[in-house]
Amino acid sequence: MVKVGDMLVGYATDENVRSRGASGGLVTAVLAAALEKGLVENVVVMKHINEFEAVPIVTDNVEEVLASTGSLHSVPVNLAKYAMGRKVAMPAKPCDAQAVIEQGKRGMIDLDNTYVVGLNCGGSMHPVTTKKMLVEMYDIDPEDVVGEEIEKGKLIFKTKNGEEKAIAIDELEEAGFGRRESCRFCTLKIPVNADLACGNWGVIGDMAGNATFCQVMNEKGVKLLENAIEAGRIEVQPASEKAIAIRAKVNSVMEDLGSTLEKEIFPDIPDEERMQYYMEQMEDCIDCGACKEVCPVCACGEDSKCTMFHSLVDNYKMSMYHMVRLLHLSDSCIACGQCSDVCPSDIPITLLQSRFSIPSQRRRNYQPGINLDTPPFFEVILK
Amino acid sequence: MKEMIYQTVCPGCNIGCGLYIRESEEGALVVDFMKSSSANLGKLCRFGMKLPHYYSKATNVVDGKEADIKTAVKAASDKLKGAKNVAMLAVGATTNEEHLAFTKIADALGTVVNTGIGAYEEIPSECHPSISQGIPLDDIEKAGRIALFIDPYVQYPLLVRRLLAAKKNGATIVSVGCRDLNLADENLSINPADYKTELGLDSNSIIIADVHPHTDPEQVKNLLNLSLMTGAKIIFMKPFVDSTGVHLFGKGVGQKGLQEIMDGINDGSIKTLVTLNSDLLELMPNTDEAAKTLEKLDNLVVITSRDSPVNKLANIVIATESLYAKAGSFMNVEGQVLNNSGESTVGIDAMSILSKNLGGEAFDFHAIHDKMMKSVVQKFTAPKYSKLECKVMETAAPAENGGNLISVYNPFMWCDQPDDNDFVIVNMKMVDKLGLQKGSMIALTSDAGSVNVRYTVRDIPDGLILTMKKLPVVTGNSTVVKAEAV
Ligand SMILES: Cc1cc2nc3c(=O)[nH]c(=O)nc-3n(C[C@H](O)[C@H](O)[C@H](O)COP(=O)(O)OP(=O)(O)OC[C@H]3O[C@@H](n4cnc5c(N)ncnc54)[C@H](O)[C@@H]3O)c2cc1C
Ligand code: SF4
Ligand code: SF4
Ligand code: SF4
Ligand code: SF4
Repeated sequence: MVKVGDMLVGYATDENVRSRGASGGLVTAVLAAALEKGLVENVVVMKHINEFEAVPIVTDNVEEVLASTGSLHSVPVNLAKYAMGRKVAMPAKPCDAQAVIEQGKRGMIDLDNTYVVGLNCGGSMHPVTTKKMLVEMYDIDPEDVVGEEIEKGKLIFKTKNGEEKAIAIDELEEAGFGRRESCRFCTLKIPVNADLACGNWGVIGDMAGNATFCQVMNEKGVKLLENAIEAGRIEVQPASEKAIAIRAKVNSVMEDLGSTLEKEIFPDIPDEERMQYYMEQMEDCIDCGACKEVCPVCACGEDSKCTMFHSLVDNYKMSMYHMVRLLHLSDSCIACGQCSDVCPSDIPITLLQSRFSIPSQRRRNYQPGINLDTPPFFEVILK
Repeated sequence: MKEMIYQTVCPGCNIGCGLYIRESEEGALVVDFMKSSSANLGKLCRFGMKLPHYYSKATNVVDGKEADIKTAVKAASDKLKGAKNVAMLAVGATTNEEHLAFTKIADALGTVVNTGIGAYEEIPSECHPSISQGIPLDDIEKAGRIALFIDPYVQYPLLVRRLLAAKKNGATIVSVGCRDLNLADENLSINPADYKTELGLDSNSIIIADVHPHTDPEQVKNLLNLSLMTGAKIIFMKPFVDSTGVHLFGKGVGQKGLQEIMDGINDGSIKTLVTLNSDLLELMPNTDEAAKTLEKLDNLVVITSRDSPVNKLANIVIATESLYAKAGSFMNVEGQVLNNSGESTVGIDAMSILSKNLGGEAFDFHAIHDKMMKSVVQKFTAPKYSKLECKVMETAAPAENGGNLISVYNPFMWCDQPDDNDFVIVNMKMVDKLGLQKGSMIALTSDAGSVNVRYTVRDIPDGLILTMKKLPVVTGNSTVVKAEAV
């Protein structure tokens, strides 16, 4: 019997899934079971193209789910929008899960019918930056990479010839590589906002490297696990006290690191210079609209407030589009980094939005995408 | 059928931005980001973001009636067999493989494929590699000084981040153009004679210009000379997804520019026109005038993947699959071969039958693809040329109460796609002179007609009016217009 709050260590019973899985293949097995047993109609997973590219797919094919094992640290997508309007199960980094909840609050995702298998997240990297880093820092041909993992603050790459090379993440980030900027100041490392929180932190002893640590966050998490056990797809056992303590310790180190980096990434700007700062940062915007399109918490359709007040014929120093977005996303922005990733002018739009929204969220004691207890502070709740 | 996901390349210009197209069961298209694409890191400009509008599907037509593709190919074969005065046009808006297949049809008809860029004909062939080959876009980020002869924000938007990165790395940017660019350290409005002395270029510099169907060949020569005299590298940006590829595969003797083709139709020396993903109604500055010209043809055979205006004028339309679904590749402005993940060969197969029916070679996709890959290796050579003679470039004198209306060619304009660009740019002097008020419009009148448009104000040279959209009053790159407030 699984209960809310359980801390478990488990793995996929299918040896193939277990060995290909990022840790124990448990996530894949849980997703496959949810589909097989009709808990959901579709599953969102990543279809691998190569080590640096994968595309999210929405599938009702168990084989496609089973083929999706492995964590892609250099594929920084957000999966929430693929869950919209569907009855799905999905893997979710903390920021994926946050976006699912924010969309749920706005009625775009049916949270009762969306099963979220959370993945711990130490951060993700941009694929092109990673390839460059492999050449410049690791002296490895990106084509030779067969896997990578993060362990004890180091980023390790494994190559075709069985070799491994590790470099401290600090050193990489110092040299301008490593995690995306948003991931450096992200402090939600264990997805306590998902139905299950899975990861490799706390997997120790014999199990290290081939099992998944799993915390059951709520009743949907219970359902997911029991369903997978019943389908014979996973085996789980309680995690030891030591394992639980190690996981908590690593998490707290990572959270502290995020908080420290936040101070570095957002140096104070005097009030009188703020407007000028925003205008200068935005001045090369080419009005492509990609930052809106990609935003996983934006629940507006094509006719949205930010686009409706905006026209290229205007010559504002900072467009109405940006002014409206800054304000409108100030409650819901989860600092996922997607907007910076896709900006064709390399405007650090996540940093600009976060500089605006984080203080505003903190002042109201509101953390977006965590639970349904507090409604968005911009929305009137109709009862 | 469930959602299909295609890895493809944006057809908006020759930068070659990678992306995904997701096609739902109902045929609805959504753009998704492909962050591992080295040309663009998954980033897209305004045009790339609006691609679903671009991919409207074509239908096969024979003499005004819908047909199946077999019938259309058969009818095209019958029309083209023994046809005289044939011209063929492919500007570069489809795959390398289709372009190569199109040259097989040209061989069978004893003619060549024109790429529509007249400038090539006017410039000695030893210079062509310098125009067509390009350089890695990464080099831009490493340059010490950059001279811009384009407007990157509007024309080739994925250059903006390269230029900003160059600046971060210490480069200075000088722009020679019609409007002040925010990213430029200096914005100059100078004559070609002063380029060498005023621009401060050396062997650590890069000149970024462009070449397209309406480029003035004299400007290309001036810039080639500038590169030669200063030792600066030069890159000519291009407007179509396979502009570089089509030049490599489609070029032959007797290349014609778009205007020459139109002139040929008007004087009766061209009676049959075969086009591949090239709509002259979209490509020519004035749509109505182009339509009048095309109506003079005996035969217009259109092979295309898009439902564009010229299909309505064509005797025969051979409709191929959408660009994103094709098996094949594109060559971007850097000379990189970029592959589509699609596997459909409808277009290639139709062209194979057409070629065979005309007494030429039959082929399949794989044979064409292999051949294409071989020519890529063979044809790239190091450019060498000596100083070119240039004529003084002519600029039309602006009208007394008006100005020169200049088209800033951009992805939306080349395929006449809708955008929020329904306005012209003028300077404050023009606003004062015409007595324009906030909210009023400008009436522009030329020999071709009259139009009322909104306006916005920027710092641009006196007497100029810039448009990013095709306007019915436009007759060329620069049109003298009368302007009034309305
Ligand atoms: C970017 C990233 C960083 C991570 N960092 C940590 C960490 O620091 N500490 C830790 O304990 N665990 C981390 N994890 C989680 C860990 O790597 C495993 O995913 C987790 O232990 C589950 O293992 P598994 O074998 O059960 O998963 P598998 O059965 O292998 O399933 C993995 C699932 O993740 C999905 N997936 C792969 N890449 C992504 C992605 N980029 N975004 C969203 N979903 C994806 C796949 O589609 C698949 O469904 C991270 C995961 C990711 C994706
Ligand atoms: S923002 Fe946070 S949760 Fe999202 S990928 Fe980065 S580190 Fe992971
Ligand atoms: S505004 Fe940017 S960082 Fe914030 S949620 Fe949207 S995409 Fe993510
Ligand atoms: S993605 Fe960048 S360029 Fe595009 S609208 Fe947003 S800020 Fe502007
Ligand atoms: S139009 Fe050019 S710059 Fe814009 S997305 Fe397409 S290829 Fe890239």
